[in-house]
Amino acid sequence: MVLAVIVVFAVFGAAGTSFADEIMSTGKKSEPSAWSKWLERPPGPFPGVILPDEPYDGKVVEQPIDFPHDVHAGANQINCLYCHTYARRSAVAGIPPTSKCMGCHNIIATDRPRIKKLTEYWEKGESPPWKKVHDLPDYVRFTHELHLKRFLFDNPEMSVERSDEVCALCHGEVKKMTVARKQKTLTMGFCTRCHEANDGPFDCMECHK
Amino acid sequence: MKQTMGHSIAWNVISRIPSEDLKDRASGAHNEWREMSKKKFDRREFLKAMGVSGVAVTVAGCDMPSFIASQEGVEEVVSYLSPEEFVIPGVGVWYASVCMQCPAGCGVRGRIREGRLLKLEGNPESSLNAGKLCQMGQAGLQNHYDPDRVTTPLARKGGKLAEVTWEQALTMIEEKTGAGSSIPKNRFAWFTGTVSGHQGVLMKSHLEAMGSTAHFVHETINNQVWRTVSKDMLGLETPRLRFDKAKLVLSFGADFLGTWMSPIHFSGQYARFRSTPDRGMLIQAEPSMTLTGANADMWLAVRPETEGAMALGIANILIKKEKVDASALPESVLDAIDGYDVTTTSRITGIAGDRLIRIVRHLKDLSPSLIVAGASACGHVNGYQSAAAAMLLNFLLGNIGKTIEPGENFSFPQLRPAEGGTRDLARFAKAAGEQQFDAVFFYGANPLFAAPAHMNMAEKLDAIPFKAAFSQFMDETTARADLVLPVASPMEDWGTHVPAYQGDRNAIVFQQPLMEPLYPGVRGLGDLLLGLVKMRNPGPLDDFEDYYAYLQNAFAAIPGALKGEGGDEDAPFDKNLWNRVLQNGHLEVPGAKRSFDTKVFAPDVAGHRENADYPYYLAPTPRAGFYDGRHANLSWLQEAPDQITKIVWNSWAEINPSTAAKLGVEQGDIVKITAAGGSIEATAYLHKGVHPDVVVVPMGQGHEEYGRYATGIGVNPLKILDPLSDGKTGEMALYGTRVKLARTGRSKKLVKAGDAETQHGRKIVATITADHLRRTEGES
Repeated sequence: MVLAVIVVFAVFGAAGTSFADEIMSTGKKSEPSAWSKWLERPPGPFPGVILPDEPYDGKVVEQPIDFPHDVHAGANQINCLYCHTYARRSAVAGIPPTSKCMGCHNIIATDRPRIKKLTEYWEKGESPPWKKVHDLPDYVRFTHELHLKRFLFDNPEMSVERSDEVCALCHGEVKKMTVARKQKTLTMGFCTRCHEANDGPFDCMECHK
Repeated sequence: MKQTMGHSIAWNVISRIPSEDLKDRASGAHNEWREMSKKKFDRREFLKAMGVSGVAVTVAGCDMPSFIASQEGVEEVVSYLSPEEFVIPGVGVWYASVCMQCPAGCGVRGRIREGRLLKLEGNPESSLNAGKLCQMGQAGLQNHYDPDRVTTPLARKGGKLAEVTWEQALTMIEEKTGAGSSIPKNRFAWFTGTVSGHQGVLMKSHLEAMGSTAHFVHETINNQVWRTVSKDMLGLETPRLRFDKAKLVLSFGADFLGTWMSPIHFSGQYARFRSTPDRGMLIQAEPSMTLTGANADMWLAVRPETEGAMALGIANILIKKEKVDASALPESVLDAIDGYDVTTTSRITGIAGDRLIRIVRHLKDLSPSLIVAGASACGHVNGYQSAAAAMLLNFLLGNIGKTIEPGENFSFPQLRPAEGGTRDLARFAKAAGEQQFDAVFFYGANPLFAAPAHMNMAEKLDAIPFKAAFSQFMDETTARADLVLPVASPMEDWGTHVPAYQGDRNAIVFQQPLMEPLYPGVRGLGDLLLGLVKMRNPGPLDDFEDYYAYLQNAFAAIPGALKGEGGDEDAPFDKNLWNRVLQNGHLEVPGAKRSFDTKVFAPDVAGHRENADYPYYLAPTPRAGFYDGRHANLSWLQEAPDQITKIVWNSWAEINPSTAAKLGVEQGDIVKITAAGGSIEATAYLHKGVHPDVVVVPMGQGHEEYGRYATGIGVNPLKILDPLSDGKTGEMALYGTRVKLARTGRSKKLVKAGDAETQHGRKIVATITADHLRRTEGES
């Protein structure tokens, strides 16, 4: 048992050294390291960004109303930021206020069962109790605002019309789903690899504050 | 009530985790540990286990999804229904309101996000606290979210309080005190803490409607003695004190940085006083060290009850030795001063003659100065006389008009607070003992906790046929009531408040709800008062659907000139002005300059009473934290170390080491403190910031009923107070109780922050001996 521990430690200890060196060498990336494969990867299809491409097969979350993202963002090509308008202004993207839904659905498709259900909520003066699909632990401070700034608004190769491509980096192909499903791991490894590859901030305190 | 949220605090987006889910998710990891802890582990086994799981963690590293991170579809995220445009989830909005943690009336701002109040800070617009807020104010947040709040009306049925509906509760009130009830005039009373603004107006209307004048206003921590002295000698109860204009402050036990009058306002002045090029000098004379005393340049342990003698002694030396012009003082005053030469004063007060002379020299050199007297000087049978002697020094030193200013008149006398002190507690005890009342309503006061045992308050309360408590918490008094009406927290309510001591500019402070009530079963105080007036005297106020409407109407009646730019006297309610005032948190109301009407008289300071049976004085000092005990239910303040001893979650007895040595008491020994009216036990904390004749047991602990954090912790020194009061004002002599001390033979370690009295040779705080300082600073 003890031997096994030592062996395992020897293997990972060695790898750990270069990892530590990498972290400690402030910003210099001269030596190949455990992380270098991310840097050497050819740029992906997304302009100006190296993607952490890590699929995850999230479960289908049952929602009060089966909101069809595919109809809104897919077929009708409504910009993500039209409904999730808080994403560019706040740490959280927010669920659109029910008044926003009703802005269109006062008139559009009022005979469909899902819209009828929505209208019921609206008339009761309540919002549907949506379930959170993408959730980070409370000790992580993630901000949509800064990520959109970096990848969309300050990215000369992108335009606001293509915001769905930016959102898809972390949220997957939402415009092909009905209700949202988690498609990326959203673990700390997922975050740090992207931060490393795209020169994001790397201080612990940046996210754990 | 519908209108109460009219100012649009949008509210929603709640993250809720059903508790079963929490249990499920936690169980995996938790069970493993539970299994492990069942076995007996030795160190070797433990390291082995850690080795294996440690490797597992290393392998997975940052990619191991924690059970928290990977949750999907567990929490709810409810969107806003139809938010205001400026409302953004995740971004806080600050709203102004008032702090009601003590009667000072500071302005606050609360950060609201997703309909929840998250943080309180001082309102920078307030000329009283200028953006600052003390620890008690910060803990206002906990007061709001306290898990022990009363959430539904309760009525006594078969000896026990049981839940009733509001309808039932109000019917009970109507039966006992309504227009159709048979309650005779003057058989009704209100017993409250400080109430001001329009709540005060409505309370007065209710009393009038009841045909009663009995309004008892009780504050254990008050400045009534000092205010009475100010009124008698200066003609004004609340002259403006300018610590910032003084070069020297001599304070006889006034803890103006902690609990005296308006601590945050004075702390601001104190900061300016200390940061002048010459740096103001602070001398504090008190029998037990307060927060202010701990900040002083010179701290003097004056013998209790002799503060007045010390002041007269200083006057004597000023006149005799320093030849200060005293021609303006009447002959009788000079005669009184004459008897207190250095030797006599030194003998009476226990302060060495050379120190008195040194203080006088400083007073002569550093002009203008400011002399104030606070709780420990005023809390004796000669309290008024001592405070008058201190004020006399201000006359002699020419401070009147320089560091004590008349200030401005407050234009709305009807909104001024009904202020009280401990005199009203004694008056109430007497009246209740004579069974003068058929019904008493309680709000914002806890007489049962504050009353000494000799008042027999519990029996007297029980003898009152109908007691209704308008209460946020189940405290001692509330638990004895026949009817409990849960009131909204200050963060959920509307109101106007007028600080007794105004800031640089007179203002009415506006209170607005920072969020929706946490519990649907609570009602605002204003709404309840309005309902009570309507119930007793239908007609005049029937037009107002709720207190919000009443307040808006009252606001419209304020003369336009006072509302500032755009204000129009004849205009009806102006929404824009109203919003601007709510945004600021207050309405400044300039008034005419006041002037002094001075009258100097000779104080009769007869000091120190010898008492062979009870040789020590009990000092139930107030601390900025529990205050008078009202904050003992806030765990933040229980957890915050005491300013002097650093002790948490307990009561203790501060004893001078020399006294302790005499009694054979050591640090941590439990001592029995016996007064004529009873005894308490507390753990001894020895330190030199206490006069040898004094034992300090801070007030605030020892609750028998006050929620999960306060009940059963510590002891209540107020219980064993002697039946003494100041001869002039009738205020209870809180510091006059005589006690004897005895060892119990038991001891207990007190929990305190730091827990070390020395720096172990490390210069964490640079220190210098007093002797060295005197030599290097050139003092003799």
